Amino acid sequence: MPPKPHRVLLDRVSGYADEAAAYMRRRRASRRPFARLYYKGGRAEDHADDSAVGGELFVAAGRLIEVAGKKPKQ
Amino acid sequence: MPDDAATGVVSGDAAEGALAYLAEMSLDLRGAAILDADGAVLAASSDSGRWREDAAALFEVADRAGGEPVEQVHIGTEQGEVFALRHAGLAAVVVTERFALASLTFFDMRAVLRDLAAGADGRAGEARPDAS
Repeated sequence: MPPKPHRVLLDRVSGYADEAAAYMRRRRASRRPFARLYYKGGRAEDHADDSAVGGELFVAAGRLIEVAGKKPKQ
Repeated sequence: MPDDAATGVVSGDAAEGALAYLAEMSLDLRGAAILDADGAVLAASSDSGRWREDAAALFEVADRAGGEPVEQVHIGTEQGEVFALRHAGLAAVVVTERFALASLTFFDMRAVLRDLAAGADGRAGEARPDAS
């Protein structure tokens, strides 16, 4: 007997949701801190957190995150 | 501090409105500030003095790193993400939760600054493309 149509739909939706959740987990696990600077003309630079400039950028960013505080409650 | 494009005077009220609009558009936003050509804070979500000081420090390091004025800064840390943008003689600095969509955040920031610089209320970003 073929599965009921709503079952097929539910299975498909939960399949997509599982894939999306796995993608987000992988993204979170693989994402390291980064500092990316963009200049005129499309030039971009990445700075690692263990470089001198990178360290300064992360300190400056940390101060901004501190002053911004937590996300306001909706 | 911001780029050298010519701008008129942006009122604090317009900047406050633009900041509210930015917060409304970005669900991940924790705090933000809009600064004028001299680096003075036009509007900020919290302590203006701190935002001025810390934004100036960030732009100073970024300018020095590239040997020219930086246009965009995106820093991702474990605690959150920082976006900074110079546009049309103004600057915006935004702090979001982690994993905020960078392209949309910069799009909104740019639209708000462009609108403010044109003397409007900073809500031109209402024409933003759908994120979905």
